[in-house]
Amino acid sequence: IATFLGRKLQPRPQNEVEETLKRIQGQKGVQGIIIVNAEGIPIKTTLDNSSTVQYAGLIHQLVMKARSTVRDIDPQNDLTFLRVRSKKNEIMIAPDKDYFLIVIQNPSD
Amino acid sequence: MVDMFASCTLLSVCMCLPDYVCVSRRGLRLGMAKVTQVDFPPKQSVSYSKETQTPTCTQTHTQAKPGSPSEEEEEEEMAEPKPAEESQEEKADQEEKQEEVAPKDLTEEEKMQLLHSEEFMAFFDRGSRIVERALSERVDVCFDYSGRDLEDKEGEMQAGAKMSLNRAFSDERWSKNRVVTCLDWSPQYPELLVASYNNNEDAPHEPDGVALVWNMKFKKTTPEYTFHCQSAVMSAAFARFHPNLVVGGTYSGQIVLWDNRSNKRTPVQRTPLSASAHTHPVYCVNVVGTQNAHNLISISTDGKMCSWSLDMLSQPQDSLELVFKQSKAVAVTSMAFPLGDVNNFVVGSEDGSVYTACRHGSKAGISDVFEGHHGPVTGLSCHSAGGPVDFSHLFISASFDWTVKLWTTKSTRPLYSFEDSCDYVYDVMWSPTHPALFACVDGSGRLDLWNLNNDTEVPSASVCVNGSPALNRVRWAHSGREIATGDSDGQVLVYDVGEQICVPKADEWTRLVHTLVEINENRDEGEELAAQRLVA
Repeated sequence: IATFLGRKLQPRPQNEVEETLKRIQGQKGVQGIIIVNAEGIPIKTTLDNSSTVQYAGLIHQLVMKARSTVRDIDPQNDLTFLRVRSKKNEIMIAPDKDYFLIVIQNPSD
Repeated sequence: MVDMFASCTLLSVCMCLPDYVCVSRRGLRLGMAKVTQVDFPPKQSVSYSKETQTPTCTQTHTQAKPGSPSEEEEEEEMAEPKPAEESQEEKADQEEKQEEVAPKDLTEEEKMQLLHSEEFMAFFDRGSRIVERALSERVDVCFDYSGRDLEDKEGEMQAGAKMSLNRAFSDERWSKNRVVTCLDWSPQYPELLVASYNNNEDAPHEPDGVALVWNMKFKKTTPEYTFHCQSAVMSAAFARFHPNLVVGGTYSGQIVLWDNRSNKRTPVQRTPLSASAHTHPVYCVNVVGTQNAHNLISISTDGKMCSWSLDMLSQPQDSLELVFKQSKAVAVTSMAFPLGDVNNFVVGSEDGSVYTACRHGSKAGISDVFEGHHGPVTGLSCHSAGGPVDFSHLFISASFDWTVKLWTTKSTRPLYSFEDSCDYVYDVMWSPTHPALFACVDGSGRLDLWNLNNDTEVPSASVCVNGSPALNRVRWAHSGREIATGDSDGQVLVYDVGEQICVPKADEWTRLVHTLVEINENRDEGEELAAQRLVA
């Protein structure tokens, strides 16, 4: 099937995505990377299944809330980046219209 | 007028809607749409005003095709009711939608398609760029210079971490596919650890026996020294009074001596392969004695015990056949000397019994038999934590029968049996500093720490090694703060033990006395009951 959602697929080398993921994963302290789609379903992950599902579900809700907060305050505004800093680690979320990229890092590593 | 038009369009909507719905949605929603249509007309009339029409794209559509105005109007209505309908549906059936969305998972194919799509690539490009920038920032805005943060962290870590993995030693070339057969910590340099390995079945051209000396002090992941020999090394030890020598007992019965001063990886001295020495695998080697008067003791599985001088390995100084009751040779698998004793020792055998023996004197050889295990004895350890009370009569044994048994040399029946394991227990060792603490490892990858003063039913701390390999050996470091285990994958793992577990308090010795009294009482009670049952 050469079309998806009525759009033609561009065959890009999957290596690019894999390489970038490997590079990010190799950075100091990175514990895991998850890519989630707009519905909260993880489509790529470097963590085990149960953690992925947990993170994806919880972070999806958080991003939705954060985004709606930003938009409620100013409808012209939109969420561009979300960083959750905790005692043990840091979760960085790069949201987009259709996907989020979640990276979990332990900065003291 | 608007109402009339609305009612006309309502009809048309009724007729046309099903077609549109079928194309773009599933049949299920068709039913729901009909329900909400009841509310439609008033909403429709409101939305059908020029003002709201302007921002939608259907405006241009109507202008472009004046020939079929009714169709366009219908389409407009389609555009209008659709979003209104959707919002209605969302409000009314949000739960249903959630139910639908939650279990719906994407198949691998769908995921791959998504990953290859244009928008994904664009998103990923942007997102990864931002994330990489953020990751590279090492600024910790929450850093507290007063140090309060660090104090909290230490407290938490102490409380939480009973045993934490410190290092994992393995070598791609020399330890892969081999089983760790023995471990020993250096008495002179507390950071050095020797591990011996058996043969690598996948590499028949490589030497069968390997011994690697690992260094805990540095972050280097390669061994300090690599030693080989022609036969699989079953036991290894640092020569206690010679910091440069490593002794190995091999499968062929040869005892080999490696010297780290020489540049060779092969042994500098070897015992002869003759009947005067050993002809069976040597599972126990130990250097006993004092600086001026010490011997290397080795016992092979045919029950032959030899004592050697480290200067001359060409023939044993003394040899002794360990036979029980003048007939049965004891197949020795493990050996232990009590603290400070050079004459009396205990051996464990393949038939499941533990024997005490002595080296010299009129009764040289096996003295008593301690029966209790139902399977070969794999490990023995004599109590070695010196303190106000002497417990050197205590020793523990591990066996294939899934248990660890506590014995005293004063009685041939076991004092207590620790039955928490669900697999062969491969090794056991008393802590060199804490009188009531010992460690045991089993075939399911578990390392257990038992504290007799806390609980004799369950281990006080337990950790399961990643991947659950069978753990073959366990050795406490001389400081009593670290434990090394060797597994069946050729890995040596060193664990740090939390202070609250491994550091003995001043009253541990007296508490152990009480614990032993309790254990004794329980044992006697148990035996009385058993005897009563037999009588009855």
